[in-house]
Amino acid sequence: MNMNSIENAIEVQGLGKSFGPIRALDGVSMSAPRGQVFGLVGPNGSGKSTLIKTICGLLGPDSGSVKVMGLDAMRERYAIRRRLGYMPQTVSLYDDLSPWENLRFFGRAFGTSDLKERIQRSLEFVQLWDRRDDPLHTFSGGMRQRSSLACALLHEPELLVLDEPTAGVDPTLRHTFWSHFRELCDRGGTIFLSTNQMDEAMHCDRVAVIRDGRILVTEAPEQIRSLGRASIEITLDDGRRTFEVANYESELPQLLSAWGLESRVRSIEVKRQSLEDVILGMIGQEQK
Amino acid sequence: MIRRVNATAVRINAQLRRDHRFLGLSLAVPLILIFLLKYVFDSMPGIVRFGINFSDYALLIAAYLVHFLAYVLSTIVLVRDRITGTLSRMFVSGYRRREIVLGYVAGYATIASAQTALVLVSTNYLFDINIWRDIVAIVLTMLALALVSVGLGVFLSNFARNEGQVFPLIPLVIIPTALLSGMAIPIDNLPEVLQWVSNLVPLTWAVKVLKGVTVEDVSFFHVMGPFITLVAYGLVLLFLASLTLRESE
Repeated sequence: MNMNSIENAIEVQGLGKSFGPIRALDGVSMSAPRGQVFGLVGPNGSGKSTLIKTICGLLGPDSGSVKVMGLDAMRERYAIRRRLGYMPQTVSLYDDLSPWENLRFFGRAFGTSDLKERIQRSLEFVQLWDRRDDPLHTFSGGMRQRSSLACALLHEPELLVLDEPTAGVDPTLRHTFWSHFRELCDRGGTIFLSTNQMDEAMHCDRVAVIRDGRILVTEAPEQIRSLGRASIEITLDDGRRTFEVANYESELPQLLSAWGLESRVRSIEVKRQSLEDVILGMIGQEQK
Repeated sequence: MIRRVNATAVRINAQLRRDHRFLGLSLAVPLILIFLLKYVFDSMPGIVRFGINFSDYALLIAAYLVHFLAYVLSTIVLVRDRITGTLSRMFVSGYRRREIVLGYVAGYATIASAQTALVLVSTNYLFDINIWRDIVAIVLTMLALALVSVGLGVFLSNFARNEGQVFPLIPLVIIPTALLSGMAIPIDNLPEVLQWVSNLVPLTWAVKVLKGVTVEDVSFFHVMGPFITLVAYGLVLLFLASLTLRESE
């Protein structure tokens, strides 16, 4: 076990996975540091769920390697699963059972002596304690998602792997979910989640953008945003001029001196692309 | 391991208790079919002249019903678990393949036992059979058959990716079972190749035991060979099912 494996909750090297003629993952390499929220951002069909299932040991890779907390994701999957919580893309709980019954069933696999207390803590965390005995089929979509999150949290795992946890969730609940994720991270946990909502990338500590089974970039959100273009509007004594630049921090001084504008500048307004636009731009370029 | 097998069985039983319609139908359908059988047999009294005693068949058909229902039920439920992602979640939560398979057997043993009890009591009441004399042999055979059925259902569910794909698998088992098990046609009357194939049909071994203790009036000890074969068949199927249960697509 090398030092990187210890520092990184997840480490993926040259991962390839095909389903017949479809190349779902094409040489994916990335690492998710411990104690952070890591976001895997990409459109539908980009390979997010395949990567997540590989991390959880539910899919074997065709090539490359996946290490989770320093352990091989396939060979040592049973040891990993004791330390990992998984929330699938679909709710994947029994509709005819209550949250209490569902959590008790999945929780009994871990063999903890304080299962009842843990179920209570998890359901209180997602604010479903009052509805613990109602069957899941009586719940709204958001409540079902919360039940699913509670199930993933039950054994208080070091690593939470969440596959599109906010898909189909209304904006208020999305906000609540992100508060939960940040709170869990603040307690020392690591969260690896996927999303196709580009704007959610800003909530992450680190983001990987995936498209057609390939990672386009892995950086902190602000770093990714800095890769976008900026529009600089300079108001001069005799009017306004607008420039489009790739990197405004380095290009602005050059621009002012090259155009001889410094002495006549009244104000400078910089409009940077949003993180969402930068990611969409990356994905769009890749598509072309 | 026992904790997880028990947890699976408890969960399945909780689901069965909640689904009143399913529970009702699972218990009512075998009864309805036994009553239908009685009605059909009673409407053809003349056939007795050809040496056919319907009562000899009633218990065999009852066993066939238990086998059929437990097989179909376990196949569909496991495929549904796979489609909804609950099976994947079980794996990630730490359940092992053998624990899931044994949990299903233990869970469905309850409903299979209830079906067996109803079928036996109704058969005993409606037909000229005294099941009480050989009750131990009959119940053990029925339960072993249920074990085979669940194992077969779990094993074959690996070949279906959705509930629709389960349906072609149903006649694949049920029709050869009806034709080759000795339930309707004596095995000795089949061509030699089919006689050999009949050994692969699990119901064949149950029929040998049930026919032995009821029609041929031999002791359970005399038909211990087919009974052990039936149990071994079930264990092999469960082993195969737990080996082949896919953790993911």
